[in-house]
Amino acid sequence: MTKVVGTRLKRKEDPKLITGHGSFADDIQLPGMLHAAVLRSPHAHAVIKKINVEEALKVPGVVAIYTGKDLEGKIGPVPTSWYVPDCDLKEAPQYPLAIDRVRYVGDGVALVIAEGRYAVKDAMYLIDVEYETLSPAVGQKESLKDNAPLVHDDIENNLAFHWKAGTVPEEVCEKAEASVKQSFYVQRVAPSPIETRAAIGRYNPGTGELTLWCTSQNPHIHRMVLSEVLDITEAKLRVISPDMGGGFGGKIGVYPDEALVGFAARDLCRPVKWIEERSEHFTAANFGRDEVIDVEIYGQKDGTITALRVTNTHNVGAYLSTMGPGVSTIDFGLMITGIYKIPYASCETFGVYTNTTPTDAYRGAGKPESTYQIERAIDLFAKEIGMDPVEIRRINMAQKEDFPFTNAQGLVYDSGDYEKPLTKALEMVDYQKFREEQKELRKRGKLVGIGFSTYVELCGFGPSKVAGGIGFQGGIWENATVRVHPRGSVTVYCGTSPHGQGHATTFGQIVSEKLGIPMDDIELVFSDTKSVSMGWGTYGSRSVAVGGSSVAIAADRVIDKAKKIAAHELEVSVEEIVFEEGIFSVKGSPSLQRTFKEIAKSANMAWNLPEGIEPSLEASSYFDPENFVYPFGTHIAVVEVDKETGQIELKRYVAVDDVGRVINPLTAEGQVHGGLAQGIGQALWEGIVYSKDGQNLTGTFMDYAMPKARFFPKFETAFTETLSPVNPIGAKGVGETGTTASTPAIMNAVMDALEPYGIKDIEMPLTPEKVWRAISESEGK
Amino acid sequence: MNIEHTYTFKGIPREVIWRTIQDKEVLQRALPGCKSFVEVAEDAFASELGISIGPVKGIFTGDVRQVDKNEPESYRLLVKGKGKPGEIDADANMFLEEIEEGTRLQCSAEVKLTGVLASVGQRVMSGVAKVVLGQFFKEIDKEAKQLV
Repeated sequence: MTKVVGTRLKRKEDPKLITGHGSFADDIQLPGMLHAAVLRSPHAHAVIKKINVEEALKVPGVVAIYTGKDLEGKIGPVPTSWYVPDCDLKEAPQYPLAIDRVRYVGDGVALVIAEGRYAVKDAMYLIDVEYETLSPAVGQKESLKDNAPLVHDDIENNLAFHWKAGTVPEEVCEKAEASVKQSFYVQRVAPSPIETRAAIGRYNPGTGELTLWCTSQNPHIHRMVLSEVLDITEAKLRVISPDMGGGFGGKIGVYPDEALVGFAARDLCRPVKWIEERSEHFTAANFGRDEVIDVEIYGQKDGTITALRVTNTHNVGAYLSTMGPGVSTIDFGLMITGIYKIPYASCETFGVYTNTTPTDAYRGAGKPESTYQIERAIDLFAKEIGMDPVEIRRINMAQKEDFPFTNAQGLVYDSGDYEKPLTKALEMVDYQKFREEQKELRKRGKLVGIGFSTYVELCGFGPSKVAGGIGFQGGIWENATVRVHPRGSVTVYCGTSPHGQGHATTFGQIVSEKLGIPMDDIELVFSDTKSVSMGWGTYGSRSVAVGGSSVAIAADRVIDKAKKIAAHELEVSVEEIVFEEGIFSVKGSPSLQRTFKEIAKSANMAWNLPEGIEPSLEASSYFDPENFVYPFGTHIAVVEVDKETGQIELKRYVAVDDVGRVINPLTAEGQVHGGLAQGIGQALWEGIVYSKDGQNLTGTFMDYAMPKARFFPKFETAFTETLSPVNPIGAKGVGETGTTASTPAIMNAVMDALEPYGIKDIEMPLTPEKVWRAISESEGK
Repeated sequence: MNIEHTYTFKGIPREVIWRTIQDKEVLQRALPGCKSFVEVAEDAFASELGISIGPVKGIFTGDVRQVDKNEPESYRLLVKGKGKPGEIDADANMFLEEIEEGTRLQCSAEVKLTGVLASVGQRVMSGVAKVVLGQFFKEIDKEAKQLV
């Protein structure tokens, strides 16, 4: 059998999906199923004076309408899952329906249940809510001020948490020969999966079991949290993630809506379905980013960076989301120095409540923001001292021999060789030639620019004892069970739950290579808390590094047991058995052999097992890595700016990523492509904008500019492979490289293009209007 | 959101325009899609308007009040409307000015929106307002001409 790991196998998932045989939440139809909708607040901040549901209840088909007051005492608040320590974190309870005050446009006010979707909507419009509007707190910096309206009366200055890490001695800054101060806004964006959120609840009053299908990236976390919210034991609550159309972090969160559906199904003893609408998604689904980042970077004229001071003011929205508090603190603040050997660094983060939709993890979660500030700051510093952006990176980056490398904030990077992808990317783009061409083009008035991002990210969550130390309310190990059936096919049960990544393909490849059996003989089971013992979810680029490793270990354990049975049957000692490509043979006598299928049968029939060996062929693994993994790479963008219109054309995009062992280059490239579209989207087009009244002005795809395929050139991608020593596969994780690396690469390229105008920074997204204005203003000077 | 609109009533004196736009029956006829217009107190009306322009579609019920009247120069028009697409809260200053050609009416409004009106409608709202106000003033123009 040929090598399976490392080959470009087509996705095992796709035939099902592209022939319409997938089963998404909205495909689920249950007998007697009711439909639900949530009436949401149209105001950013208001007191609920009165809710009149009389007219709404008269609509034919309406079964129930619940308000926040109706649910008091029957359903608990939905908590955050990340209590970051030592930051005076103040959690305001988020009840699934607002009780007496709404705190953002989209806050749930009433739950309507009816026989059909039309009746639900008709009734929803007839609910009469009397509000007394209050002044809203909207932007994070303004909301911290003394006179700002309070989102929660008992939380002073709207300060949700105040976190600090690292110190920079004043004398280091004083001694610096050069410094740059810059404020960046990494704007709020909408993860926008193609499938919105959904939940379907079914309660069996006979057994007391509640089944909840919901669009979750982490069904076991949903089970754990909702078990508390709904006051039901985990053994009686089954959470299933059906096929999902993406999540990007937006479906990590345990949401009020899911709790409401579970509650109503149990209360009414009938199945209840809720499918989120797109416009609803733009008000009620968690957003990403929204961080104002103030940076001070200090160094010498020879290019050595000596210190970095960062302040992050993070808009957390009206409530703390599931992962929200960790994003701007642990994920961001410990990674601020990127790949660089900067001796002193400090980060101070303010988490600020506002009357806006909560923000949560979004593809990269803290690392894209962190990479953005350091990769932009290092470019600005290079400009300040007149140094080439590649040279300054080479001077400061950790070298191969520095690994395991400890950064200024104390994180230990597992492995790295930053020069490797940098050299390769420079070759691919032909840097010297570009600079020559740029000179010529500038003479002809053309604005072309090149931008770099030499990034590293914190991935593969992770060691569970660290999770405990940083206040994350979960373990972050993974489990897998490899079960071999009597005729030799295999079912693999995995904790980490996919939603478009292609786990069945990559994990299948790991098992296929280990056991020497064809991909078609391997079935993967995920996403159901009743089938899989435990799992901590798919986020933080952890599935292959942690979940895949668990699969590999379980497969090895199956082989160990199978070898003992083979040795027994072949009447040799275990040490004499060699297992290769699905065949157990005896060293030196290769004709003496058993196939994997034969041993599968022997193990399951148990007619003739060695002494002390139990029947069946099955093994499990619970893998908890000793450290995180740190993927890295170099991305280079080449842009041209039209000075008459401010329009930016992305001419080339080169991405060289080192994600450790690549299981399947095809799916890995797919991950890179998707991440790039989102990261470049953040730089150039996307952005959620609130009015000063707290209304989302960008609530449709007419106003919120999602990139289209035609906006991009053909991405030029490549991988280098520096294996991680912290897991048996050597994988580092690929899911978030694109969003982490690309945003600053694009910005740096545009700033390079605009260098003749002396423009140093423009706030994202770089719409033609903003770019044109910056050019016009600089011409006017 | 601020909405500014100016309309010139050619050859019509200011007093006539003032009288016209204070006439309840005229208002009912002139308001686009007006289904009902009932005076509930002095200078306060309960109304129902059917509007259908782009995403701004549906029946709006609301209260209209005229305050700070300074005949015949200015008044403030307060509109609170509610419909399926969201809520409108407008505070409009209306100025009437005598000019050579007749009377110029200037409307300057601060408008607050919620719901779909805000998230979807904001982009087209000033355009919608222009159309609605344009139709309204044209009707007032017609009515006023009959009084000249």
